Amino acid sequence: MTNAAAPCQTENVTGMARSVLSEISGMLQALANNETAGSVDLRSLPLTQADRRQLEDALGRGEVAVELELAGRSSIWETRYAGVWWIRHRGAQEKVSSEEISVCRVPDILTSQPADITAAALRLQQELSQNPSIHPEASDG
Amino acid sequence: MADNNRNSQLHGKPVSRTLGEALAERGVSRRSFLKFASYTASILALPPTAATAIAEGLATARRQSVIWLSFQECTGCTESITRASSPSIEDLIFDFISLDYHHTLQNAAGDAAEHARMQAMEENKGEYLVVVDGSIPAGNNGYSTIAGMSNVEMFEETAEHAKAVIAVGTCAAFGGIPAARPNPTGAVPVSELTDKPVINISGCPPIPEAMTGTIAYLLSFAGIPELDHLGRPQAFFGEAIHDRCYRRPFYEKGMFAKSFDDQGARQGWCLYEVGCKGPVTYNACATLKWNQGVSFPIQSGHGCLGCSEPGFWDFGGFYKPLATGKDDTLKYAAGAAVAGAAIGAASAVSVRSKRKKLLEANAAPQAIKEEAE
Ligand code: SF4
Repeated sequence: MTNAAAPCQTENVTGMARSVLSEISGMLQALANNETAGSVDLRSLPLTQADRRQLEDALGRGEVAVELELAGRSSIWETRYAGVWWIRHRGAQEKVSSEEISVCRVPDILTSQPADITAAALRLQQELSQNPSIHPEASDG
Repeated sequence: MADNNRNSQLHGKPVSRTLGEALAERGVSRRSFLKFASYTASILALPPTAATAIAEGLATARRQSVIWLSFQECTGCTESITRASSPSIEDLIFDFISLDYHHTLQNAAGDAAEHARMQAMEENKGEYLVVVDGSIPAGNNGYSTIAGMSNVEMFEETAEHAKAVIAVGTCAAFGGIPAARPNPTGAVPVSELTDKPVINISGCPPIPEAMTGTIAYLLSFAGIPELDHLGRPQAFFGEAIHDRCYRRPFYEKGMFAKSFDDQGARQGWCLYEVGCKGPVTYNACATLKWNQGVSFPIQSGHGCLGCSEPGFWDFGGFYKPLATGKDDTLKYAAGAAVAGAAIGAASAVSVRSKRKKLLEANAAPQAIKEEAE
């Protein structure tokens, strides 16, 4: 059996990017009007690689880009449309595990989570009480 | 396969702490939960906004005791779920469960292994999950035994106080290859032997995300996901391979490869005429793909074998087109669907009383029946 030349149609533009952009445009208007956030799961859509590139190019890159090291690398950036965020999570072997476009002020995953804040506050208190040499003022000076 | 982290979870005692509390101690942040939840929402075809609810559900859930029983199987299902060796978001599922018994992954052997199973059953009565790979030889109890117990006895004993049973792989879900004609061991799917809720995650092997996604759903929402008429989660088995196949435009235009090395095959045309079973096969291969999303059989140039459907081994030939009806292909496909509907319905009612009748009717060949008597 030969597979050498079997094309996967991954290079064809299907028009899906335009549909996704229209949906995002509606979500962005809703965010502007009444702060309702929305998102599009890119993995669930039959986008070809060419569609995906077209979509990424159309949205471009804005002022914020963040890399997270969190059980695999995650890349998050605000597109050149304020409030439209591209979120790409990677898992094993750098493969994309999920990918979405989120229309919101700040993606949830970028905000410090309340449980993490509580744990961090406790940890810092414990470290300060157990080791007096670690003192915030001392390190400033 | 099993790394130290996973092995350390074997024989884990039930903990009263929430997953959020337990994992925080090991440096797993809530942000990691959120990332896992985004991944889970995506594979479950839930809107991305469901991620927050999933993360919250997981953080407040208790670590789930899982007893994994392997019967007439090839270990392909275990290979599939443990395919990744590096710590990654997909592996977090192993932090959410306490794998209290698993032949291949556990350190303990012999009496110690069986003791671990009994202990997990005792300590988590009514709360533990039983995962089964492999079909169960009901034609003759001597065909497969573990620790001196027949597979039927071990399954019935373990499932009795389980919260639910997950049948992973086509063998556990529908009998699979051991049940292929003439079914020499009288192999039956697990749903024939229990009146507990059964979730079938078929495939030979199943897609790893279908297994981990289902377990994550059970933990996050404390309930069973929506199932199809064969008892399979709709999120993964709701659409035919054909519905999401990138070669579908060629099918619509009647452009078919006639052999694996002709011009059509080289051009990526539809594989229907070289035996693709995509139109009658329900699974998520075309969207989730395999090996962390690299490819799936049709993308690699081979038609779908239909491995997630009941009776796939007896479909009449992997390379015979569905429509020809040769070797009763269509009859088997339709028959499998009807049999599957009965299996799905069987999950809701007690089936023990009908088991004997069913087995006598058709499962074991005459020679085996005689031997059993
Ligand atoms: S290759 Fe198979 S699944 Fe894809 S369009 Fe053809 S028949 Fe359908």
